[in-house]
Amino acid sequence: MDRNQIDSLLADLPREQGQLLPALHRVQHELGWLPREVFAPVAKHLKITEAQVYGPATYYAEFRISPPPERLVTWCSGPTCRVLGGDKVLRIMEAELGCELGGNSADGKTGLWLGQCNGSCERAPQVWVDGRVVGPLSLADSVRLARRIKAGEDVAPAPQGAVQIESTAVQVKAYHGAAGDDTGGHSASSAGER
Amino acid sequence: MADPLAPSGNAAYDAMLTAAAALRQRRDQPTKPLIRVDLTTSSVAAGADGLLGELRREAAARGIDCEIITVGTLGFSFAQPTVEVHLPGKQPVVYGPVLAGTTSAFLRQAVLGEEADADSAPALGVRPSGSTMRAPASAQDGGAQEGVPSLHEHPFWRPQERRLMEWMGVIDPDDIEEAISVGRYAGLARAMSLEPIAICDLVESSGIGGRGGAGFPAGRKWKFLLGSPGPIKYIVLNADEGDPGAYVNRVLMESDPHLVLEGMAIAGRATEASHGFIYIRDEYPLAVERMLQAIAQAEAKGLLSDGRPGSGGALGAETIQIRVVQGAGSYVCGEETGLIASVEGLRGMPKIRPPFPAERGVFGKPSNVNNTETFANAPLALVHGADWYREAGTESDPGSKMFSISGSLQRSGIVELPFGFPMNELMMTMGGGPSAGHTVKGIQPGGPLGGILGADDIGLALERPPFTERGVLLGSGGLILFDERACPVDLAYYFAQFCEIESCGRCTTCHGGSQRMVEILHRIIQGGGREGDLEQLGVLDDTMQNANCIHGQFTPYAIRGISRHFGEELREHLVGKRCRARSCAGLIEYEITDPLHPDLETAAELDSSGTLLRGSDGQWSLSGRGAEEFGVLPEVAPEAIAVRDRFAVAAQADESGRDVAADLAVAGGA
Repeated sequence: MDRNQIDSLLADLPREQGQLLPALHRVQHELGWLPREVFAPVAKHLKITEAQVYGPATYYAEFRISPPPERLVTWCSGPTCRVLGGDKVLRIMEAELGCELGGNSADGKTGLWLGQCNGSCERAPQVWVDGRVVGPLSLADSVRLARRIKAGEDVAPAPQGAVQIESTAVQVKAYHGAAGDDTGGHSASSAGER
Repeated sequence: MADPLAPSGNAAYDAMLTAAAALRQRRDQPTKPLIRVDLTTSSVAAGADGLLGELRREAAARGIDCEIITVGTLGFSFAQPTVEVHLPGKQPVVYGPVLAGTTSAFLRQAVLGEEADADSAPALGVRPSGSTMRAPASAQDGGAQEGVPSLHEHPFWRPQERRLMEWMGVIDPDDIEEAISVGRYAGLARAMSLEPIAICDLVESSGIGGRGGAGFPAGRKWKFLLGSPGPIKYIVLNADEGDPGAYVNRVLMESDPHLVLEGMAIAGRATEASHGFIYIRDEYPLAVERMLQAIAQAEAKGLLSDGRPGSGGALGAETIQIRVVQGAGSYVCGEETGLIASVEGLRGMPKIRPPFPAERGVFGKPSNVNNTETFANAPLALVHGADWYREAGTESDPGSKMFSISGSLQRSGIVELPFGFPMNELMMTMGGGPSAGHTVKGIQPGGPLGGILGADDIGLALERPPFTERGVLLGSGGLILFDERACPVDLAYYFAQFCEIESCGRCTTCHGGSQRMVEILHRIIQGGGREGDLEQLGVLDDTMQNANCIHGQFTPYAIRGISRHFGEELREHLVGKRCRARSCAGLIEYEITDPLHPDLETAAELDSSGTLLRGSDGQWSLSGRGAEEFGVLPEVAPEAIAVRDRFAVAAQADESGRDVAADLAVAGGA
């Protein structure tokens, strides 16, 4: 990461506090996390203090201030999963991967993180392996899944010919940059940052 | 009801409608096989993206001349991935689940009309072509076709009042032409000929209430903003939908994004707002993308402003410009002042009201925050009128409501029903009741702050008053059924923990109170309950009513619900140290009753804890209690073991209810 990279990432964002979440999302999307060094250039671009960046960056659960592991197991913490045995799935994941929720496995390769319900509750209880839902999981399934993950196997490959959900509509650049009108110093002009 | 496709009197809109008519004709009466693949978060979780690629390749390889499009969802989450096949001259048939790897058989069966084989996907029913809002007038219209019954005979579909969901799962959410072809923006076109106050009046008289759960009349809220000084005023759409187990907003945005945008544009005109924000939680990437796509298309058509002066005026007056703000994982941002802080790029901490947002909202400017579903209802009132709108629903809650049902159910999914619909019919008939072999224990409505209902309350009408009377929230529409395997005390602990993690930290009453609540409940489910605990929890409840926002105030709802409906079980945990659901790992232990049972072999393979040991005589034994480190055992070897109360002896010895925690620790070997 160098400073120019951050500057060019943020180049078209209006310089105001209201663009902080979009700015942090962009940086994290690019780097995978928010290294300490990005706060200063982000603050400078938005004309706010570094503390004003640091506060929200550490307040919101989805912003990460440590590098993500190679593989990520996200355990769904939702109540539908819970009433169908989700807590037992978690205990198995923790035991098999050898780490607590929120931590990484001993070799640092696999992370076990808490996820908030994405509303695919018909597949409860579930985990997401590198963002892909795997479920419904019996407890025996959970043990086997964790072991395969630990062995480095590809457990939830994106199916062949898959539509990349992440990018189906991202090419929508049309709204970036259109000049803002007078919005009391808080332009709402650059709709839709990712 | 009015026909949304009838001339609106707005020449520009009517021209758009005319231009889209050919597309509608092609989609409603295709001349070659039309295949609709549900591509939403739920179906992708079931592999719909891979399935789509496979269908395309397979159709090409077999030389089948067909059109394959992607659509939102009809709501059959339980049967995902669902695929609809519409053959020329026939009615469309919905299939599901259509599994990856079976597309060859599927195409032979569904498109080429060959005999179904073992691989074939089951047909859910025939869906009469076109709108899904009304049941067919006669049996023939929606009737069976070649042995496949009508969808209107399907228990999950039959009672639905599909107003918002009318075109969901039918139209392509990424195509504004198709949205217009079914009448999207017809409400906005009608709004163009009305004064802002007249739009507010119409929305108020239709009785549209806030769908986030509060039910506050949207029209009245809009009037507050209309009365606030401009020129800079904001409309904010709350799609934070943080309540786990509730996902109606996600489905709305993924399946019919233009309905949502149209509602916002109408609100913009009704309140003379200058800008709109859509705040979507980070967990919904597909909804973010679909909304971005829809905004870009609406801007290109001049239906929404792109920020340049004079843009967005295709239907007459200039419309608002809408920007999407993606949240970053914070539950309290669902509270409107927390959401506003988040839009401003601050930590999403709720503020004390007043001042209300209509006075000082986003960036200190007058603002109005409504739920996604609330905005989506506005076009209905504009197109069909207030009288029609009130035909569904109840006096206190006019109209319809989308619900997401899940948990221990045969059929989980998304439905739309008139307010007042009986909950037992929704859960037991439409949802098919609990998973096979299990019995209803309770229902969790309205998210983590919504409270808990017992099985005896399953007959409640789905409208706010009966829920409020019982101290629970109907909320934004998530309903979770749980069966006897779930422990209500564990659920209380779980929700307290959720609320503690998500407390913004501003009020000590909230973050300290929820923390203490977690500590007490955790002790109880571990077998360390004390006689004074219930009083302690009551004191915490009283104290938390002084929290600044509803997050703290409603956190105790779960434990209140447990005391009310599952008081006996709570006392069993507290005094008897016993969990009758056999779910609380700290209160149970396993015992091997058949040490030579072959299932224990399988269990041993799944045991990484070294708990299950085999002696030289071939007999299996447990080195510890097993419950915490070896939860998989009862699932794989149910006949070889017994699950016992860990503290059974102590519980029998002390029925008086005094503090027996210390004795129990000894009795349990802890």
